[in-house]
Amino acid sequence: MNAAGLHINGVGAVSPAGWSAPDLLRVVRAGEALPAANCTRPKAERPWECQVRTVPPAPPEKQVRHPRFRRVSAISRYAAAACLEALKDAGFDTPPPRLGILFVMMNGCVNYTGRFYQEVLDNPAQASPLIFPETVFNAPASHIAALLGADGAVSTIIGNANAVMEALDMAAVWLRGGVCDHCLVVGAEECDWLSAEALSYYHASYVASEGAGALLVSLGGNGPRLQSITGPLSYHSWRERGEALPQLVTHASILIDDRGGIAKHDAAEAAAWSGMAFQAVHSPKTLLGESMGASASLHLVLATLECREQQAAVAVSLPGSNSAAYACVVGC
Amino acid sequence: MSESHLQRIAITGAGIVSPLGIGWKANEASFEADRRAFKPVPVELFEVDGFVAKTAGMVDLPDEPVLKKKPAYADRGTQMLMLAVREALAQSGRMNLDGIDAMIIGTSAGAMSLGETYFENAVSDPKRQPRQLSLAEHYQPQRQINDLAAEFGWRGPIIVISNACASGANAIGWGVEMIRSGRAKRVLAGGYDALARLVFAGFDSLKALAPSGIPRPFDAARDGLALGEGAAVMILEAEDVRQSAALGEVTGYATATDLHHLTQPDPEGKAAIRTMTQATRQSGLTPADIDYINSHGTGTPFNDVAEAQAIATWAGEAVPRIAVSSTKSAMGHLLGGAGAVEAVICLMALQGQWMPASLNVREVDPAVQFDLVRSFRRARVEHALTNSFGFGGTNATLVLKRRSA
Repeated sequence: MNAAGLHINGVGAVSPAGWSAPDLLRVVRAGEALPAANCTRPKAERPWECQVRTVPPAPPEKQVRHPRFRRVSAISRYAAAACLEALKDAGFDTPPPRLGILFVMMNGCVNYTGRFYQEVLDNPAQASPLIFPETVFNAPASHIAALLGADGAVSTIIGNANAVMEALDMAAVWLRGGVCDHCLVVGAEECDWLSAEALSYYHASYVASEGAGALLVSLGGNGPRLQSITGPLSYHSWRERGEALPQLVTHASILIDDRGGIAKHDAAEAAAWSGMAFQAVHSPKTLLGESMGASASLHLVLATLECREQQAAVAVSLPGSNSAAYACVVGC
Repeated sequence: MSESHLQRIAITGAGIVSPLGIGWKANEASFEADRRAFKPVPVELFEVDGFVAKTAGMVDLPDEPVLKKKPAYADRGTQMLMLAVREALAQSGRMNLDGIDAMIIGTSAGAMSLGETYFENAVSDPKRQPRQLSLAEHYQPQRQINDLAAEFGWRGPIIVISNACASGANAIGWGVEMIRSGRAKRVLAGGYDALARLVFAGFDSLKALAPSGIPRPFDAARDGLALGEGAAVMILEAEDVRQSAALGEVTGYATATDLHHLTQPDPEGKAAIRTMTQATRQSGLTPADIDYINSHGTGTPFNDVAEAQAIATWAGEAVPRIAVSSTKSAMGHLLGGAGAVEAVICLMALQGQWMPASLNVREVDPAVQFDLVRSFRRARVEHALTNSFGFGGTNATLVLKRRSA
């Protein structure tokens, strides 16, 4: 893939651990699962358990002050905060010119989508024209582009969380082709009762989560580099997925895997990596929950921070759930 | 990358499904006849009571399942996409997707109708319902397209781009960039969207739909768009691969972002001017070399005047000689499928040496300085350009070239 060799010069994160990448690293290193709450339902009580771990309220300094952000949904706020942190982390107090943006999500603006569709069901003639535009998949990318003054290449990818690897690949193409000088790659998701319930259909013990992970990537710089990218290893079934995962395995000092704490769902990934020895293995989803479109980006943020602090190569396992698997190493 | 060193990209197959018909020939015949495809939305699709608009451009899908392996959860959009893929493969002399290095597909809504059903089930009954898991799974467009790939036993990267109404054009552009980067030799790229109640309601709430159901792009008294549905794909190949079999070429692609507003275009069309300028420059052309533009041309008051002004600024003195039409006037706005469908229409125009019409125009808007094609026209077309603009400010321009003799 083209992304090999890209420098990750800045990272930012919003997660149930807090509104910064260091908050994320602190919780993952502590290894203690954050408390989960029962997900409330707007209509009728749910006769089964459905747990969520949501992002805490934004501290004042993380609240975005821009006209576009007056009524945006949570996913845009998370992504904006993560992007601003990534830029600052890379040494940019103001957004650099010729900045590309690639946004990855699975579910997108679910809160406004659910609200708008309920209005349609209740009375289509009174469904709000203010809400509908915020339901569109690329609305968050548009808001962030407006916030940062990025008027060049901006694109949104829908897919499994690990589609962030395809976004990084395109970022590399844009950077090498002179389309932009720096590129923000951000994976984000917001939680609502519908997506939380959807996740619980896969397994009752899943805890739905939310957040955003942002990476500022460039061709040069002092940040860790993306290396040893494996994938996409495409599959059409859970069996094929299991057969593909051993090909992801690679050497590194630290592993950040995708396990979520559901034994039968984790088994193939655990087996694939079981033959390798690591100084540390982090399974962020077991602590934070399943943040769907944001999770792989949060893994990469963690890998970048670990690589910087430990001066060690960090493998990231991104097996995906319904189409393809990837892995990479973030190295110094 | 120096533009003069950009690799030429051959189009070796194309498939199109639109409200005007399934396949190249059906669509071509409809354009020749200046046919329109709008009809009342049937209640089996969704209820339109309470909406201002009651009609749309709809695709008549075949009765038999289009996807054989998992027909139960193949939404309408994926079925249309599959039909377009089959046509493109056949045109390219292929039985399957072997040799395709990646699939890049644009959509703005994915399998929205499955998501709507999931929502309706969830709000109507709080108990666990067995069908919900499959709906949640197949609502995801990457899963739908992976099911399509499984029909061919194909495995490879599937990239789903969702930049609203520019999705299909961006997907083709992404395919071009993927080949030029050397990651792929041959890709299948395009876009699709099916009509869905939520989206219909959304455009209705914005008062963007023409109350009459008839869109009139570039008419002085235009009052909105009509929605449609469809799919189109192209097989794109590196220039050293089977160039002799090319139907045409993609010579230029550019994308830019309009920061003016989430849904309204910049009145001067600044981003559009940039994408048209970059895409023609990348093609080694000037505006005067462009014979035909398939405009974004939605028929909304804001879009058409902004696009007309952008074309005038970009083209300069050449503007009166450039022929422009909006095929949305005949089939509606196909949203995430529009850019791909309109790119294939440009390819058809290059192949057939004709220009499709902008229908339904009574009095041309004074902002129009170009040659508005108001009925089907036989004409020399060597280079065609297509614009796609979307919510969020995404602008994309593709330039296509007729197959070299």
